[in-house]
Amino acid sequence: MKRFSLFLCALSLVPVAGAAVDFTREIQPIFAKHCYSCHGAEKQKGGLRLDAKSAAMTGGDEGKVIIPGRSSESSLIALVSGAKEDKIMPPKGERLTQQQVAKLREWIDTGAEWPESASAVAAVKSDHWAFQAIRRPDVPNVAGATHPIDAFVRARLKKEGLKHSSPADRATLIRRLSLDLLGLPPSIDEVDRFVKDKSDDAYEQLVDRLLASEHFGERWGRHWLDLARYADSDGYEKDRARPYAYVFRDWVIRAVNEDQPLDQFSIEQLAGDLLPNASLAQKEATGFHRQTLTNTEGGTDKEEFRCKAVVDRVNTTATVWLGVTMGCAECHSHKYDPFTQREFYQLFAFFNDASEKNIPSPRQNELKAYDSATAKWKAEVEKRTSAYSKWKQDKLPARFQKWAESTTGPSTDWKQLKPTKLHSKSGATLKQEKNNVVFSTGKNPGTDTYTVETATDLKRITGVRLEAIDDPSPKLGPGRSRDGNFVLTRFALEAKLPNGKTQKFTLQNPKADFSQSKFNVAASVKGLKTTGWAVSPKKNENHVAVYEVKEKVELPKGTKLTFRLEHYYKTTYLLQRFRLAVTDSSGPFLPSSVGDEVATLLARKPDDRSEKDNQKLLAFYQGNVDAEAAKLRRAIDDQESKKPKYPPTTAAVIVAQPNGRKTQIHKRGNFMDKGDEVFPLTPAVLHPFKARGEKPDRLDLANWLFARENPLTARVMVNHIWKNLFGRGIVGTIDDFGTRGDKPSHPQLLDWLATEFPRLGWSRKQFIKRVVTSETYRQSSRMRPELLDQDPLNYLLARQSRLRLEAEVVRDSYLTASGLLSRKIGGPSIRPPLPSDIAALGYANSVRWKASTGADKYRRGLYIFFQRSVPYPMLKTFDAPESTQTCVRRERSNTPLQALTLLNDPVFHECAQALGRRMDADVKSDDHRAKLAHGFKLCMSREPEGPELDRLEKLYDRQLKLAASDKKGAAQAIGAKESDPDLARKATLVALSRVMLNLDEFITRD
Amino acid sequence: MNPELSPQETIDLTRRDFLATGTTGLGTLALASLLNQDGLLTPNATAARTDPLAPKAPHFTPKAKNCILIYFEGAPSHVDLFDPKPKLNEMDGKALPKDMLEKVRFAFIKKEGVRLMGSPRTFQPYGQCGMELSDLLPYLGSCADDIAWIRGMHTSQFNHHPGQMLMNSGSALFGRPTYGAWLNYGLGSESHDLPGYVVLTAGRGSSGGSSQWSSGFLPTTYAGVLFRNSGDPVLNLSNPPGITAEMQHLGLDAIGDLNKLRYRYVADPQISSRIASYELAGRMQTSAPELMDLSSESEATKKAYGLDRETPKIKNRGGGAGTYETFARNCLLARRLVERGVRFVNVLHASWDHHSNLNNELPFCAGMCDQPIAALIKDLKQRGMLDETMIIWASEFGRTPLGENRTNRSGVTGRDHHPYAFTMWMAGGGIKGGRIIGESDELGWGVVKDPVSAHDFHATLLHQFGFNHEELTYRFQGLDFRLTGFEGAKVVKKLIA
Repeated sequence: MKRFSLFLCALSLVPVAGAAVDFTREIQPIFAKHCYSCHGAEKQKGGLRLDAKSAAMTGGDEGKVIIPGRSSESSLIALVSGAKEDKIMPPKGERLTQQQVAKLREWIDTGAEWPESASAVAAVKSDHWAFQAIRRPDVPNVAGATHPIDAFVRARLKKEGLKHSSPADRATLIRRLSLDLLGLPPSIDEVDRFVKDKSDDAYEQLVDRLLASEHFGERWGRHWLDLARYADSDGYEKDRARPYAYVFRDWVIRAVNEDQPLDQFSIEQLAGDLLPNASLAQKEATGFHRQTLTNTEGGTDKEEFRCKAVVDRVNTTATVWLGVTMGCAECHSHKYDPFTQREFYQLFAFFNDASEKNIPSPRQNELKAYDSATAKWKAEVEKRTSAYSKWKQDKLPARFQKWAESTTGPSTDWKQLKPTKLHSKSGATLKQEKNNVVFSTGKNPGTDTYTVETATDLKRITGVRLEAIDDPSPKLGPGRSRDGNFVLTRFALEAKLPNGKTQKFTLQNPKADFSQSKFNVAASVKGLKTTGWAVSPKKNENHVAVYEVKEKVELPKGTKLTFRLEHYYKTTYLLQRFRLAVTDSSGPFLPSSVGDEVATLLARKPDDRSEKDNQKLLAFYQGNVDAEAAKLRRAIDDQESKKPKYPPTTAAVIVAQPNGRKTQIHKRGNFMDKGDEVFPLTPAVLHPFKARGEKPDRLDLANWLFARENPLTARVMVNHIWKNLFGRGIVGTIDDFGTRGDKPSHPQLLDWLATEFPRLGWSRKQFIKRVVTSETYRQSSRMRPELLDQDPLNYLLARQSRLRLEAEVVRDSYLTASGLLSRKIGGPSIRPPLPSDIAALGYANSVRWKASTGADKYRRGLYIFFQRSVPYPMLKTFDAPESTQTCVRRERSNTPLQALTLLNDPVFHECAQALGRRMDADVKSDDHRAKLAHGFKLCMSREPEGPELDRLEKLYDRQLKLAASDKKGAAQAIGAKESDPDLARKATLVALSRVMLNLDEFITRD
Repeated sequence: MNPELSPQETIDLTRRDFLATGTTGLGTLALASLLNQDGLLTPNATAARTDPLAPKAPHFTPKAKNCILIYFEGAPSHVDLFDPKPKLNEMDGKALPKDMLEKVRFAFIKKEGVRLMGSPRTFQPYGQCGMELSDLLPYLGSCADDIAWIRGMHTSQFNHHPGQMLMNSGSALFGRPTYGAWLNYGLGSESHDLPGYVVLTAGRGSSGGSSQWSSGFLPTTYAGVLFRNSGDPVLNLSNPPGITAEMQHLGLDAIGDLNKLRYRYVADPQISSRIASYELAGRMQTSAPELMDLSSESEATKKAYGLDRETPKIKNRGGGAGTYETFARNCLLARRLVERGVRFVNVLHASWDHHSNLNNELPFCAGMCDQPIAALIKDLKQRGMLDETMIIWASEFGRTPLGENRTNRSGVTGRDHHPYAFTMWMAGGGIKGGRIIGESDELGWGVVKDPVSAHDFHATLLHQFGFNHEELTYRFQGLDFRLTGFEGAKVVKKLIA
């Protein structure tokens, strides 16, 4: 009995010793029978697998489970023995016997020997379609199908007993293509030309022309910006503006317009900073992962939100390029797809060492303006400098001569004062050095008053001199602030007479050899806390200030002088070294460190002065006396200070830190609960990862995405493009190619496209051309009765899809039809007018929304400033993404708010007014029916049908009567004066414009 | 449901089904002839079926039909309003035990030298349930037995915006649907001419702006619509200048007719929903101003809600002129909205972040809301609407029992953010009134009995609206998201039975 309880005790986690255990014979069968089904090649619950040595030894989400030699610390034993009540393994089915548990313990305690030969290859297997390598399928042989896409689609339709629709008419085609490729409806001219063009390659030429348009980059750039979660502000509570976010937006537009191959385009965005000799543009590209949110709310933990941003980078990368959702693996191994939590943090490790930086990134126009301003400025500096030089050559000698000859002595006789008592009010240590210098040392109390007591022999005092003495060290100056400066906020003097009375003196007319801008020595007698005498930027020199003494009083012998030097500007700005002197000379006093010497020289008669004396005097004269010289110098200084500022535009980028951060698993996604350390690596279920060097980095990851063996990226990328051209992807769940996602509607077509795209050198334009020249793309979008029944969601592509335009394209179409559109590409984001209470919804009314003016009012929707906490309402109403996370597919909703926006929003009403004017002006005759037909064509890119025109005309007649009876209203409606003789007719055209601009067809791509 | 389709697609499919085979018995064969027939798409016939907001049945019979969420951003102090702590008053000025202090994070408090701060408020019990409320909430006291008081609330977030997002959308991350959106997604709207989710604000702007009433990854149809305090009640509700009601009417008719002509050609059922949405927009143009016009309300009602009160002057933060009037009006509007079938009303006010000046600003804020909220409860009750209308008092967290000793601030006059225990309450919609659920410890620091997390609160709320919270889901980025997240949530039985 006793033995038995000992055995039980042993079960509960005390090491046992014994003969070596044969892993293959005794242990592996236990794993195979009880564990493999959840922790094997197919599934790795909790991130753990026990069929491969390296994986088993690494452990799972919670860390190691086997610690060789220490079974009591190995959680494997705790789990299979039932030591934890709520967690026993296996959770279902037959449990391990006590003997088996004992065997496992013994195996661990004897070193957990595991022969390499007895290990499955650590590869993870999956038979899910999307994880299988892509093979280019043969194009099915379908009669009449010349384009491979059509062959694939028709083969499938045939199976269902369906047929392609007939081709769309030419007007529809050009409108469809223009909207799809440029996001703008075609002009009437363009429509007419294409409709009339009978040449064989008219369509292909149209495609080429559109692909070459700069608006293509705007349209397809915007698609990419959805993925990039691009916005113009930080997000979260404070939601600060990011005024230069557009640098990344413009990078995207340019790269798309230049048709940068998609692999390079992607690699630069993920790892542009790591490319050899990365260009500025390649660094700008990394702005992709700077679109993450930033929380600057007070009291937040920076590390928490840094980790959130890194998590978002992992998720976004996985969604955009791999079409898989890693999100859930942040907290635990994926429930459905073969991604473990460990693998999530291995991807996290690629991004963890990236720091956020904002680097100067001046725009071309800014740089041009800066360069020209700098050149002008420099020329002016040179001009003024040479004027001074010329003056020195031409005028100075004579002027000096005259002065030198006429000036003998201002016999200022400064007497340096030897302090008898030093005191600091706030605790600095004042010491006396040689040559009567006072030195302030010890702790810097921030602000202070120094008091210096001295004796004097002078009978009266006419002037006081304060010398601020530079520190011998080149980094320090005469003051105690970090940069060697001081601010003397008050300098005062009083005398203690032998009879005990105090004589106060007024110091006036201060002069200094140099004063800092806005810190003139004149302030040093005022006692303000906001200014005083300071000397920046000349902080490594001696400086001198002189003061006249107003009171002319006799000082009896034994008088003591007390100087007060106050320093109350901000903090630390105390004098460090100084010396005091007084004089009884009559002045004027010169604020020069060489003052004593000059005085001596000037005291000599001109003829007695040596050449060297004259040199010294010349320097003194030029620097301190001559007013013309001062003026010329000031002119130079003025100009120097006007140096043009370098453009402030910066690019938000990420930069790898040389000593990257250590990455550990965050247990259950909690950034403070750290688990095992992990290193950069890609998920095992996908193709092998190869690093360039010893330390894998983001560039390796980016290259891995575009490796030929990658089963996902090419499929995912063609699916993105396909969705933009057909309204839905071949895989409907664009963000989920995993086991829970949709299966492809046309798997063979998907794989053919996925090989075609790289074959075309990843050229986006070539690939789009390939797709839009298919008959599948060109068919009519009309719903056919049999399709409503058999394929209402158009999986099979027996017709094109009718798609409501995206938010930005709705706006762009209004601006185009009305003729108001500004076609400028790129630049800072714009703000259309917005009622002030809407902008005020942001945090503590902090959102500043200053409406753009001029042509900027009419710029395309993609340039609208996207304030994450207060998105421009029209964009939101029409399903623009919130830009808080990557958006692979926009909703296309249909709400009454959309109707109200299009009917009544001032921006759109302005378009209606402009369209009214346009149809009036374009059609010269009085034929209002012709005007209406023209307006209709401007909007719909086609002629109206008879019944449509009849209906418009009927409305015209009724509106005209209403408008004629309401002059005031009519004037308001068109924004004109009531005196306009043609008021009613013009107002009626505006009313008709409103109707045309609100038709379903106008905001639909057919 | 077809498992391959997202709910939106299912709705779309349903819509198409109607036209193809649907409930009216129109088969494919009939369709061809219908396409040539005027009047098929008479808006009222199709609106109900094409509108994603059309009423839908939940999982089981609901107790509640509508919800009024009163949300106070910044976080009211539970120990000064709802949760009296004599022990805290006793220990005023004393330090918190060291081991308690070590484990916690604060937003602003410096741990060094921080002291407990008692409450200057006096508390008294109200109603049968004996709920003790501070002297700042006398009106709410008179409704004590209609309310279920949750003293065991706790949250994982201690910064405002993440905390608000968690409380309103079940996730601290930006970009998830708020529960007003979930309810509209799950139930549709009973209102024919107003949005299903309306937001009313008073005072200054909110943190995170419209993310507080976002539909997140759900279609924007389900997002809250802000009713404004000035100008048009709904943005762009009025016609442009010079466009009279008659002109608008003629224009809408023509738009409808021309869209029908287009439908004959392209046969896309989406056009019918476009027609329906223009019709609804037209109706909203009349119904929204009518809703905002309080002239049909009796003087007694207006007085009960406190519309006649003036906003007291206050230095510091408050909400500016007119805050009291606007808040009272919003409470009355909430009733009027619910009367008109609006599913979810969010009454928002954002000036409760009392890091300082607690003793001036909290009385201001409580004074603003106490009377109108009590009036709303009584008004709904008297009209027999309280049974089906749930009212919620919510915030992202509570405030510390410690005084806030922030650097660079002289004096301790406020409290910091406190996620470990705070109070919210619910009333109506089948919630059992007169209950006090949960308990915080003697300092008001942590929950010692019946803790309720944001997810538990959401699970309970959804339950009252007839949903099993684990089954009301939406597929996004490969995951079936739900309001209550993945960490586990429970329906709080004590709130409902």
